Formats: sequence, structure tokens, C-alpha cells
Amino acid sequence: MNKKAFATMTFVLVTFALLAACAPAPTATPVPPTAVPPTAAPKPTEVPKPTAAPAAKLERNIKVGIVDTYTGGPAVYGNDALNGWKLALNEINKSGVLGAKIDFVTRDDKYAPDTALSMAKELVLQEKVDVLVGTINSAASLAISAYAKEQKTPFIVWIAKSENITGKSGHRYVFSTSENTAMAGKAGAQALAKKPYVKYWIAGEDYEYGHAIADSAWNNLKQLKPDVQKAGETWWKTGEPDLTSYLNAIMTAKPDAVIFATGGAGMTNVLKTAKTIGLSDKIPVWVHTAIDHAVLKPLGANAPAGVMGTMDYLFYYPDTPTNQAFAKAFQDAYGTPPGFAAFHAWTTANLIAEAFKKAESLDKEKFIDAMEGLKAQTPIGEVEMRACDHQAVLPMFMGVTKKDAKYPDFLIAGDLVKVEGKDVMPSCDDIKKARGQ
Amino acid sequence: MDPAALSSQILIGLSRAMILFIVSAGLSFVLGVLRVPNIAHGSLYMIGAFAAFTVATLLQRNPAGFWIALVVAPLVVAAVGLVIERVLLAHLYQREHLMLILFTFAVGLVLNDLVKIVWGADYRSIMPPPLLSGAVSLGDISIPRYNFFLLILGPIVAVAMWLFVNKTKIGKISRAAAVDREMVGVLGINVSWVFAAAFVIGCFLAGLGGALVAPMTSISLGMDHTIIIESFLIVTIGGLGNIWGALIGALIFGLTQSVGLLVLPQFAVVFPYAAVVIVLWLRPRGLLRSVW
Repeated sequence: MNKKAFATMTFVLVTFALLAACAPAPTATPVPPTAVPPTAAPKPTEVPKPTAAPAAKLERNIKVGIVDTYTGGPAVYGNDALNGWKLALNEINKSGVLGAKIDFVTRDDKYAPDTALSMAKELVLQEKVDVLVGTINSAASLAISAYAKEQKTPFIVWIAKSENITGKSGHRYVFSTSENTAMAGKAGAQALAKKPYVKYWIAGEDYEYGHAIADSAWNNLKQLKPDVQKAGETWWKTGEPDLTSYLNAIMTAKPDAVIFATGGAGMTNVLKTAKTIGLSDKIPVWVHTAIDHAVLKPLGANAPAGVMGTMDYLFYYPDTPTNQAFAKAFQDAYGTPPGFAAFHAWTTANLIAEAFKKAESLDKEKFIDAMEGLKAQTPIGEVEMRACDHQAVLPMFMGVTKKDAKYPDFLIAGDLVKVEGKDVMPSCDDIKKARGQ
Repeated sequence: MDPAALSSQILIGLSRAMILFIVSAGLSFVLGVLRVPNIAHGSLYMIGAFAAFTVATLLQRNPAGFWIALVVAPLVVAAVGLVIERVLLAHLYQREHLMLILFTFAVGLVLNDLVKIVWGADYRSIMPPPLLSGAVSLGDISIPRYNFFLLILGPIVAVAMWLFVNKTKIGKISRAAAVDREMVGVLGINVSWVFAAAFVIGCFLAGLGGALVAPMTSISLGMDHTIIIESFLIVTIGGLGNIWGALIGALIFGLTQSVGLLVLPQFAVVFPYAAVVIVLWLRPRGLLRSVW
């Protein structure tokens, strides 16, 4: 084989290797989960009925376009969100929204921002959706957000956690019903500041979310406890399968505590390796979402105990009737307890329904006005869509992984503490500053 | 630098290199004999990991469960490989390389979706068997027993591959077919089945790599991406189609990463790729003789 042909081959190979990471796959819409039995889903919350007789009727059904990841590792959250969404719609469409129903279409973005953007364009231009919803990927959400602004179409982010979505890059047409890295980092920092650790090591996956959560936790911690030191940082690429060498190197540096900034499958990996090489026994560890059920469940009883984590939704806490009812309805319908993505999607569906009821119109601008400051019931209490930055005010739960007699097959979070959303969110002034207003 | 830290990092790096070697050796073998750049190799590796999960979970109570999984999972992948080769690939060898790349790329996408249909999107995990749990202490360094096991297994696979290629008849025919397939055909040998065997062996190695990585990682969709990029780089720097080249490439990749972590932890990701660039700059056709 001559040199030129070899060079061509190498180029093609690399191109395809890259494509393999982000190219469209021949997929249809996600596999539909088993249908919800109509009686199996009791409405977990009472939505206050408007007292005045609703005269307004919507002229047609509301159409929502969902762009999310249903391929690859993040699909576990994409599917979870879709199930939560369907569960909510099932109830909402029974009584209807001003005589109409909420319809939806889904598109798989394959976890790639460029695909997400073209899907969003297709949904707005071809499908003519009233509202865009998505996605788990922060970079994809930021890309769609910019497009939504241009098209003046509301876009609600329901899983992605970058604080830039409603912070620096926020605008009138983007909302977030997910908690974000600013909130999680501050909540984590508040917990860590009470501990005696001084020398910290920061390690995580080299992508938007990893850096955002690490920066937020570290900056907040530095503010609350100025004598903390950063002993070092380690970053690995997303999807790195074998973390033994990374974690072993951290262990030999002997920091007082480690902050891990990873998500999803990477998170499960960190916990597994930390336990295998004995890091979690020797060094205290904090990770946002360490107590996420989707992360802990695969490890079963072999997950490390004693890891500090923060989480925005747990199906077993708070142990209130509304949360129990939601968890049960979800479990009955899909055979698994709801994750945080399902909770956010459920909340999103209810906010959309309430906003259209309040707006009494399909007009996008009126919908946005109605969303601002809107309060909706969720399984864990009332959630407000803050008017100044379009960020849902959500509580955060902090705990430590532990074994529990009630759940023999996996670890759960113990010693749980609830932190109110308003105590960890950036102020409206901070948001204005970040947006350069 | 602390010598104990350095030696434990080197040992862990070497054990990582063993899995990379096993997977890359399969890719390299297929590339050498069939001249097919198998982009679906990563997906086959992923199937190996999921299959190992299923077998190990089914035989949870059996102390030999993991070991059975280690044999069954690669065989499952080899069977998948046989179907792909006989039904599809066998009709396409005459096509140009670009077509073959497109074809294996498409096969990879189909396999990835099949994995999602069969196993779902949840993350999975299995633990090393009791015999390989915990750590081995060698003086004042300690490394996980499982990594130690990989350090022993890697050279065994390397020697087995060498014996197969150099000492068995089918191995010799594969090598001959790699050099001149028409000549081998003229000699009255059924080249088609030689190719099928070579492809199946390549798939078996991908499956073995997947089964071996399963106890160390979270088994999830998308785990094919990283490995396919890494193994193509390893095969390229080692010399296309050269099994020993795959070994050297894997060692370079594993060691630069683990030792790099002690030097500049925040940039450790870059070291293996920088090593690839340097190797290709000095020896554009790879370190060892390429069969292409």
C-alpha cells in the first residue's frame, strides 16, 4: 500500500472514529415503555382549581417537542425523564388543559450538541411545536437555547445542570426545571466547610458539567472557608473505562478529601474504583449525585458506604404521602423507582399545563409571561419558577451513602438534610451581573 | 517522586495496557489478514462486557461464575462475529476500503442499538470474583488483585496468539493470505473460511477484552467509543496488522497515561496521544513492520 493511500486511510479512520462519537445512528423513537394502566396513577398532588369559570378554550392541542438523549450511556436519564413526562401527561390529559390536550414528539440527539440543534430546528420549523423541552447534555442545551432565543420559542431545560443555562447565557426564552451546578456546588461547599479537611484534590471528567460543578464547589468552599488548599487536580476524558490509575495517583498524593466532578456512568465508575482500591475507606469523598439511585443501583451492595453526596430528588426522601404516591405510581407503570430526571420531567409537564391555563392562549409570549413566577405542586412540595432568571427554585438533599435494612439490594443515602433552594441559588443581582446587564 | 507510588502506577498502567493489547490485537489481526478496518470492534467489545454481566449475574451463587463468564462472553461475541462475517462481510471483500469502513461503521451502529434493545439503557456492574478481590502487597506497594491477574493474563494471551499465528496451520495460512490472498487461493486453500476464522478470532479477542474490563468499570452503552479510538491508535503506532506492534502500542499507551498522572495530573489525558503523535512523526508507518 503506498504512502498516499495510507495517509488517506488514516484520515478516514480518524474521521470515522470521531464520527462514531457523535454521528446519527439509525434509530427510531425510543422504545415505548409499557402503558400506564389508567387507574394505577393516582394524582399525587392537588392542583388548585381556578375559581372563576374558565371561559377560554384553546383552539387546538398543545404541541411539545422533546430533544433528549436516548442512545449511549446518558439514555438511562433520557428514558427516565420521558417516563416521568408520560406519567404526568397521562393525568393532565385526562382533565385536559382548557379543553385541549398536550401532545408531544421526541427526537434523539445522540448526546451531540450539533445533532440536538438540528433536531430542535426540525421541531420548530417542521413540527411547529409550541414549546421545546430537553436535554441532558449541557452543551446541547446551550446550543438549543441560543436557537430558541432567535426563534422566540420557549425552551425548558429539564436535566442539564450547567449554571450558564439560566445564568450567564440565560434569556427570556429559556427556562430550567433542573437544579444547576451553582446550586449543587454551593450546597456541597456548605457541607464540606463544616468538616476539618484542608488539603483537597479535585478530579473529574473533562467536559462542561465536570468543570462547572468542580468550579462551583471549589469557589463556594474557598469563600466559606478561606484556609482550604487545592492539592491538585486530575481530569480524565468522558467515558474513560478504567479509573484505577487515576484514583491510585490521587491516593498516593494523600489529600485530606477529594471532590469528584463526574456524572452518569462515570459516577458509577468512580464509586466502584474508589471502593476497589480502598480510596473511599481512607479519604473522605464528596460528589454531587453520588447518592443518585441510577448511580448506586448498578453497584448493588458493593457500592462504597460513607461517600458524601448531594441530590435534588430521592424517591424515598422526604417520606411524605405525595412523594410516596408519585414513587409508587412510577414504579407500577415502569417497574423501577423514579430518578431525578423523572421528577424534573413530571414537574415540567405540570408547569407547562399550568402556564397554558394561566395564559389562556397558545401565544408563546403569553406562555412565557405566565411561566414567570408560576408555582406548581410537585411530589416534594411547591416549586416556583423564579421570574428573574427562569430557574426553578428547587430544594437540595445532602446525605451519605449507607446500607439500609429496608433496601437490601442497594445502598441509599442516610443522614439526609434538606437545603432550601433559595439558600443556595445565586441572587437575582448576581444573575444580572453574570448576564452583563 | 515516591518510588512506591511510581511502581504502583507503573504496575497499574501495565495492567491497563493488557486489556488494550487484547482488544487491539483482535483489531490488528483482522486488519492484517482481512484488510478490513473493523469499526464495529468497539461494539463487539461492549457486547462482551454485557454478556459477561449477564452470565456472571445468572451464576451469582456459583463461585466459578466469573470464570465461566470469561469464557462464555467471548464465545458469544465470536458467534456474533461469525454471523456478521458469513452473512454480510464475506460478500464485500472485493470492495474498496472506504466501502468496508462504511460497512463496519454501520454494523457498529446496528450492534449498539441491539445492545440497547437486549440489555436496556441502565448502567450495569459486576465485581471481581472473591479470589481476585482486595489488594496484593508487594513490599510497600499494593495494587488491586484483579490488576495483578491482568498482568499475568496479558502475556499468556500474547504467547497464545504468537503460537497460533506461527505454529498452527491455519495461522500460517492466515499469514500467507495476508500477504497474497490470490496465491493462497490458487494453492487450493478455501480462503473464504480462513477469513471467517480470522474474523471470528478477532471478535473473540474483542469479547475477551470486554469481559475482562467488566469488573473494573460500569458497563454502559457508549463504552465502545473510547476503546475503538484507542485501539485504532495503538494498532497504527504499532504497525498495521502486527500483533507485537499492538503489544508495544498498548504498553506505550498504558504507561504514558499512568506515569503521566504522577507528573502532571491535570493534563494526563494528553500524554498517550502526545506519544502517538511523536511515534508517528518519527516512524510514520508504525514502530514495527506493517503487513500492509
